[in-house]
Order: sequence, then C-alpha cells, then structure tokens
Amino acid sequence: MTVTAQQRGIARCTTCGKLSRISSSSQAQSWHCARCAAPLSFRQPHSLQRCWAYTLAAAFLMIPANILPILTVISFGKGDPDTIMSGVVKLWQADLQAIAAIVFIASIAVPVIKLIIIIILILAVQLHLPLSQQQCTVLYRFIHFIGRWSMLDLFMISILVTLVHLGNIATVESGPAATAFAAVVVLTLFAANSFDPRLLWDLDND
Amino acid sequence: MMTSTSQIPKGLTACPDCDLLLHTSNSDHRQEGHCPRCAATLWHASSPTADIDLAAAVSGLLLFIPAMSLPILKLNMVGQQGSNSLLGGVGRLWLESEHLLAVLILLCSLLAPLMHLLLTTMIGISIRFGRYPSYFPAWLKCKVWMQNWSMLEVYVMGIIVAYVKMMDPGEVSVASGTYCLVGLLLCIILCSQYFHEEQAWQYWEQRS
Repeated sequence: MTVTAQQRGIARCTTCGKLSRISSSSQAQSWHCARCAAPLSFRQPHSLQRCWAYTLAAAFLMIPANILPILTVISFGKGDPDTIMSGVVKLWQADLQAIAAIVFIASIAVPVIKLIIIIILILAVQLHLPLSQQQCTVLYRFIHFIGRWSMLDLFMISILVTLVHLGNIATVESGPAATAFAAVVVLTLFAANSFDPRLLWDLDND
Repeated sequence: MMTSTSQIPKGLTACPDCDLLLHTSNSDHRQEGHCPRCAATLWHASSPTADIDLAAAVSGLLLFIPAMSLPILKLNMVGQQGSNSLLGGVGRLWLESEHLLAVLILLCSLLAPLMHLLLTTMIGISIRFGRYPSYFPAWLKCKVWMQNWSMLEVYVMGIIVAYVKMMDPGEVSVASGTYCLVGLLLCIILCSQYFHEEQAWQYWEQRS
C-alpha cells in the first residue's frame, strides 16, 4: 500500500523541497514554508487551467509561426523569404541532410510533439484515461528536457542577421514569424512548468 | 502563516513527481536516490569535493566578457567581410525593431547565464565563510530560475547550424568568441552539476 504525503497532511515545498504539515480544512489560510517562505500547497494551484490556457495560446500561435516568413535573405537586391519549413527543405536540397534534420526536429517536431504530449497529459488527468502513469511521467520529463531546444532557430536568426550584413551583396532580415515562434516556445515552456505530475498519480487514490 | 516542522520525523521524504511518502536513513545519502514508484531523482550523491561549483562559477565569470563581445563567426563573401558577436546579434535584432525577440535572446543567452554564475559565486562564498545574509533564500530561488532560462548550449548548437548554412554561399571561419563560449559553456555545466541545492538549504536552516 502506497501512502502519499498529501494523505498524511504533509506538503512538499516546490521551491526548496522541505516537508511541512499543513491542514487541508482551512482553505482560506495561506501557508508558507518555514525554510524558504514560499507559498505551500499540496498540489500546484490551478495547474490544469493554466496548462490549458498556455497550450491553447501556443497552438493558435503555431499558425502564424509556420505560415509567415521567418527569415529573408536579400542577395543582390533580390529578396527570398523563407518559412520554417521551406528553410528545412532548402537545407535538405543542398545536401545538408543532417543539419536539415536538426532544424526540423528543433523547430517543427519539438513544438508539435510537446503540445500533443501536454494535451495527452491533461486529458489523462481530466478524463481518467487508462494510461500507464510511469509512461506519462516519462513523457512529462521528456517535454521538460526537450523544450529549450526549440530556441535553436531563434538563436540562429540572431547569428545570421549580424553575420550576413554585407550591404548590397547579401543581407538577412528576420520576418514576422520569428516573434510568433518565440511566443510559441515561451508559452510551451510555461505550459510544461505549470503541469503538476503528481495529479497523474492521484488518479490511483480516487 | 508559517508552519511548524517539529512534527515531521527525520528521514521522511516525499517524491517531487508522484508525492510518494518515503522513509530513508541518512546513511544511504552517499549514492543517488530514486523514487521506487516513478523513478524520479530524490537526492543527488553528496560529493566530498564541494568547491568545484564555486571554482567553475569564477572561471565562467572570467570568460564571460570575451565570450559575449568577441566575434563568434567570420564570413567572407565576394571580398566583403562580416562577423558577429553574441551582443551584436541582440543589438541588431533590437535595431530591426524585433524588440520582443531581442529581449528573449538577451535573457536566455546573456542575462540568465551571467546571473546563474554570479549567484552561484555569491552562494558559494557565503557558505565558505559561514555568513548567511537575509537575502540568501532569494539568491537560491533566483539562481534556480536563472539556471532554467540559461540556454547557452542551444546557442552553441545554433552556431553550428549557422556555420553549415553559410558554408555554401560564402567562406565562414570560427573566430575567438566561439572558443570562449565553449569554455564558458563547460563552466556552466560543471557549475550546475556540482551545485548541491538541498545542502545549501540545509546550511541556511542550520545557520546560527
């Protein structure tokens, strides 16, 4: 028989990891950790609502991020706007398959997979889906680990706009999709942080 | 309202990922501990060489200014020269009125790594001298936040992608900034690996 800390009235501080005894009866009172003074609760408050909000916002911003041009190479006066996908295709056609694969994974696969995984996790909690909790926790850790790598394309843009700034010969300019894509990355990071994995394991105790 | 922790028995741990309540004896803290239900890391092995994080943080700070301001890549295209630095990239984006993007890149590639190293140094020095100012908890919390937003390893991958992308139309070469950046990245990795957060919190709790 497994016993969770919540069943014993013990809350783990999410900031410093200290255990404290708090009573669940007095909801109006707010508790603070004795060691680091961070607010204490058994589970992250409003975890699923926040998670849905960030996920939906990120999903809608995926549309402008993928349709609008993210990078424009102006060479000898001729502009050549690239979306995220056309940039990958060009790299592939230039026989740079390895780099094309890295950019594809970082800028297209990771944000999409992340959104799908977060939605699966939220639905697993809300609809009590019969999924393995071990596997869901692995998915949760995976999105935490992989999330930051979506920044790759944005860093590359910041390198290219300064590196290729050669007047009439060639210039690189960032496009409107760059801001939208940055928002997608940040929102998916927030969504992953606001999901509380302990909710998955609470399904056992219901 | 502050809680009293006197009722919590020593050696009780709760898993951060699945909230399982566990009894642990203090003797097995030499090795890394894992949750039996969800395999989360409960504690890291406590290492006897505690000063690696401080040393890495100080070396990282020494490398910081050259890594940010020296040119990272150099491009030669039809006789024209171009180069970029990390700070220059942020400045260029700001001039092109991509303000949000510039601020985000400034945070992830400059501010967060700098604050991470600075705060680790300050925390390390505090622990060494056994003096804990009242902002010590704020430093620790801020350090964790900055560590999460420091993404220099992704930036270095971005340099590789940019290098390969520009190989075809022009002539690219790696400049001195990249070497400083790689050294800085190694310092940051060492600094995050050897920093023992639970121990720092315990020092704060046991301050006299």
